[in-house]
Amino acid sequence: METISLNDDLMAPNVISDPHGYYRTLREAEPIHWNARWGGWVLTGYNEVVEVLRDSLNFSSDRMGFLAQELTQEEQESIAPIFKILSYWMVFRDPPEHTALRMLLNKHFTPIAIERYRPMVRKIVQKTLDKVLSKGKIDFVKDFAYEVPMTVILELIGAPDLDTEKIKEWSEKLGVFFFIKADEPRRREIACEGINALVDYITPLIEQKRERPGIDLISLLLSAEEAGSITANDVLATCVLLVFGGHETTMNLIANGTMAFINHPDQWDKFQKNPDLLKKAVEELLRYDGSVKSTVRWAKEDTQVGNTLIKKGDRILVSLSGANRDPQQFTDPDGLNIERNPNLHVAFAHGIHVCLGASLARMEVEEAFAGLISRIQCPELVEGAQLEYYPSVVHRAIKELPVYIKPLIK
Amino acid sequence: MENIKVSVDLNKCVGSQLCIMFSPTVFERDGNGQSKIVNRNGANLAEMLSTAEQCPQCAIKVENTQTGEVLFPPPELAF
Ligand code: HEM
Ligand code: HEM
Ligand code: SF4
Repeated sequence: METISLNDDLMAPNVISDPHGYYRTLREAEPIHWNARWGGWVLTGYNEVVEVLRDSLNFSSDRMGFLAQELTQEEQESIAPIFKILSYWMVFRDPPEHTALRMLLNKHFTPIAIERYRPMVRKIVQKTLDKVLSKGKIDFVKDFAYEVPMTVILELIGAPDLDTEKIKEWSEKLGVFFFIKADEPRRREIACEGINALVDYITPLIEQKRERPGIDLISLLLSAEEAGSITANDVLATCVLLVFGGHETTMNLIANGTMAFINHPDQWDKFQKNPDLLKKAVEELLRYDGSVKSTVRWAKEDTQVGNTLIKKGDRILVSLSGANRDPQQFTDPDGLNIERNPNLHVAFAHGIHVCLGASLARMEVEEAFAGLISRIQCPELVEGAQLEYYPSVVHRAIKELPVYIKPLIK
Repeated sequence: MENIKVSVDLNKCVGSQLCIMFSPTVFERDGNGQSKIVNRNGANLAEMLSTAEQCPQCAIKVENTQTGEVLFPPPELAF
């Protein structure tokens, strides 16, 4: 059988460095593939991916609940602090609990609501550009892509003075909990340390907002708690989710997008000559090399997807990057085309869990690239630079992107 | 609602169901898990506009058919 020749090691170095090539091979062989090594289905076809993501009745996001069933009592206790937070994240919950939280927060993340942060983001971008232009040679990830999203999310939760270095360190520790470093023997302990530190850091802030409410998201969550529509645990977990989720993914997209332009200087030139293409260009960067490659669902019932019967209790890796390069949906899917339209990609997923921060991320990335094309030439990779990606099934994250930055001579 | 037209752009709709959560009398899921309008008179204009705003994709368009004016989304949001 064909299946046998497919590599099922999702963390193999060539899969991490070139996920698109790997998912193309899978999609061409079997868009719904049983990965025996991982013990679940891997979906790489656009139609299959969209079908599962839009069907929250049959496909659950309650990954913490399913994980709990697989662990022994002892193992469960060892990660209790993580469970206590993560099982309250809306991204891991099904309706009806998901619905209440999502409706509450959505109002503050609509395309129109986000516009009011644009001037602030524009300023941060200009300041950051001044800095990098004075250096000439930079690590694009740390020196440019990181600055914008972190500052913005702290502004949103009404805590501009939080220590971003510490938050980054703890978020990374928490990240270890998922299977990023399956070979790290202390991974559960490390992740607990991370989450405990985050919780200890954020709790006093929540208390402060309880006494002196502002117009920020924490105050909003607290008023919903007082009204009885969500619980104190929801408030805490959601704050951690916003701080944890609100920056890394956006930073990675800015870096991946820049890498895409470095490999397609013709598209950069076109973009620079036609800045009106901004929104379409950002959609294409999301499709071409989005920062979240995949997500996970569990089948609640036996469900037919395409020609395949997915059994109740099976888990599914939904490959967003796989779907985003499916030739049945996108012409010339491996080409970068900043004018692509329509472009109904799945970089923010589809269905009820579609990214809450999508409009925020879009606006930040728009401002980042609007700033870049107005002031610099297409960045050039430093000679001999070896690009490495973090070994993750979910996140597409470049470790470092050493480039030369030169001012645009008009 | 006379003179008001509401439509969903299926090239944009990602099936978030947010419009259904906010205006269940107007929107429903179609066979592809996207949104469809089942009762264009199910909400007044104010509710219709506030629901259209919730859409992460700006896929819901509200127009005044008499004047041709697009009430939502504003041009700077369209992508
Ligand atoms: C380019 C940047 C981003 C990408 C590619 C991205 C991607 C995603 C994806 C794929 C999901 C769905 C996960 C699933 O269905 O299992 C998601 C959900 C989510 N994202 Fe993002 N995200 C980004 C930025 C952000 C930002 C800036 C925030 C913070 C404000 C954020 C907050 C969330 C939340 C809260 C959810 C859960 C929504 C729900 O369950 O209803 N994201 N994101
Ligand atoms: C919008 C924000 C984010 C979303 C929607 C998101 C989504 C996800 C999802 C759906 C998974 C799969 C978990 C599972 O179902 O088993 C995951 C895993 C993971 N996430 Fe995130 N995440 C976000 C932010 C972050 C951040 C900021 C970090 C970084 C420090 C991070 C680090 C990880 C790691 C390490 C994994 C383990 C899987 C792997 O990487 O191989 N995530 N994430
Ligand atoms: S809110 Fe927008 S994206 Fe979501 S289902 Fe309705 S039309 Fe589609």
